Amino acid sequence: MGFANDRHHRLFAFLTGIAAAALLAVTGAAGTPQPAAADDVITFGAALSATGRDAREGALTKEGYDFWADYVNAQGGIKVAGKMYKVAIKYYDDASDSATSAKLVERLITQDNIKFILAPYGSSATFAASAITEKYQVPMVDPNGAAEAIFNRGFHYTFAILSPAKKYLQGILELAQTMHPRPTTVAVLAANDQFSIEVAAGVRDYAKQNGFTEVFYSEYPPDTKDVATLLTQVKAKNPDIILGSGHLQDSLLIMRAAKDQGVQSKIIGFSVGPSTPDFITSLGPDANGVMGGAQWTTALTYTDPVFGSAQRYTRLFQAKYNHLPDYHNAESSAACETFQYAMAKAGSLDPDKVRDALASLDIDTFYGKIKFDSRGVNIYKPMAVEQIQKGVHETVWPEDAANAKPIYPLPPWGKR
Amino acid sequence: MNVINIAHGAFIMLGAYLTYWLFVGPMHLDPFLSIPLAMLAMFVLAYLLQRVLVNQVIRAPMLATFLLTFGISIMIANLAQIFWSSDIREITTAYSGTSLSFGGLTVPWVRLWTLLIAIVLTIALQAFMTRSKIGRAIRATSMDVDAARLSGVGVANIYALTFGIGGALAAAAGSLVSVSYAITPSMGDSFLVRAFVVSVLGGLGNVTGALVGGLVYGVIESFGALWFGEGFKDVVAMVALLLVLLFRPYGLIGRATA
Repeated sequence: MGFANDRHHRLFAFLTGIAAAALLAVTGAAGTPQPAAADDVITFGAALSATGRDAREGALTKEGYDFWADYVNAQGGIKVAGKMYKVAIKYYDDASDSATSAKLVERLITQDNIKFILAPYGSSATFAASAITEKYQVPMVDPNGAAEAIFNRGFHYTFAILSPAKKYLQGILELAQTMHPRPTTVAVLAANDQFSIEVAAGVRDYAKQNGFTEVFYSEYPPDTKDVATLLTQVKAKNPDIILGSGHLQDSLLIMRAAKDQGVQSKIIGFSVGPSTPDFITSLGPDANGVMGGAQWTTALTYTDPVFGSAQRYTRLFQAKYNHLPDYHNAESSAACETFQYAMAKAGSLDPDKVRDALASLDIDTFYGKIKFDSRGVNIYKPMAVEQIQKGVHETVWPEDAANAKPIYPLPPWGKR
Repeated sequence: MNVINIAHGAFIMLGAYLTYWLFVGPMHLDPFLSIPLAMLAMFVLAYLLQRVLVNQVIRAPMLATFLLTFGISIMIANLAQIFWSSDIREITTAYSGTSLSFGGLTVPWVRLWTLLIAIVLTIALQAFMTRSKIGRAIRATSMDVDAARLSGVGVANIYALTFGIGGALAAAAGSLVSVSYAITPSMGDSFLVRAFVVSVLGGLGNVTGALVGGLVYGVIESFGALWFGEGFKDVVAMVALLLVLLFRPYGLIGRATA
């Protein structure tokens, strides 16, 4: 395609050049929105899974982060060394891939100049990201990565506010010991990722030491599409208790396959899944009776000066997002709150000073006690057990926090 | 035909999504009933893709069509991700968890129906290929393009029709699996690998061979999971494929073609 007339060609090129230059000028100026007073905003960075396998959990985490940011900004911001600062959070989508999380966290630190990182969703992504934050000496508060492997590398810049992985399913067995007739046989299914393996190891150890017999254990690939053969084997062993260690998608797969095969147990519980709103909306009445390890529930009676109490947090959260907060929401907000306290305690926005303040933090929040051991793990907060009853989450363990009696044993499929 | 369709997995995915949207849309169409619609839609899409894109490289070495369909598959998967996001969709019908119990075995109804429909489609395809004029034209073209052209076969049209039929069958597969599996933009990948393995196992170009290959592969996969653990499922199945090819290079049913 050529121009018949050479003069037209040059005119065209000239006009294109003008247009391109104009376009560059306009976009260049409008590129980065400049806040009115840039030094009054503390920007946090977060690489979260907006798409991919952990998209739902990533979305819940973002809700938790955003809820805190909007809440404190509405109160004028957070106070550090006598000065008020607004907060902002810069997000990137890691598509549920840990290598991408690490890359994006590095980008947040090196290109976007972020000094405080809110962890990605999940232990795999947090594991990858923690190496980056350690390298650049930027503190990261982790609300959704419970694998202790993250913390056994001698790192100093990552702090997990949630209870470690091995505790996730223990509560269900603690509860089981108080049931009559006492269930004795356990089958454990674990996805082959760091977090799920740790959860499974924790509950298997607990089972062995507390009079339970393990009749079946199997691992499965984390992105498996089909668990029918697994459930066939579980059915053959007829366990009293079935425990699944994985994430939301696997828990749904296992539930569906269990129903397909007519696998009936007295108790069924998962590490992650039952506490999310999606578990109930995806399974409908089949979700009733399912138990889940919960880092936090709306029934707990913790209080704190920022949100008031767990109940007040629940009320305000539900008003904003139209669903009850699950523990992913709560711990994500609590992570931001942890930074808030640490910055106030340090009286400075210097990353190392904030890191030191985090290491020595000991606070009671609406989420529970937040205090870290020498590795950065919060071993001081207990976990609870939730059970879905009539489409609603009820706290059934520990007894002093329970607001409902557990349904035991599980009714047959179709009668839940 | 010498067209290796890497986009087959993407077509399966599109069929599954179409069934999903018909299911959750105002029509609430049962997934099994949407199979003909999905097949028709994908037939049209695949026909157009062949005529507009693939036919341009049909005379080039096989690698060219391989690369082209590979590119098409990436584009389709990424477009699906852009428009529909990576959120995982599921279809749960009233009969989803029901199963048939006999003699200690429990077979979910959905899987049973999927198997039956697959068998019906295979028989239909085989009949079409052997008895109908177009089917014979397809087989003629695959044997010798020039001779077919000399016999009055509209070759470009035949290529596109074949691709279209392949796309339609992929869509049917997608509709069938949409009830049992999670629906995501990348769901086609695992099915693509299995589709290739099954075709080779049964003998390339052999329709009933594909059915036999599929059944054999499924059984091997399940027993592999049972005996060696879930993680080794694919390993066992691939090793079985290797062994079959070592001893019967033309597949379980295939015969050496001239």
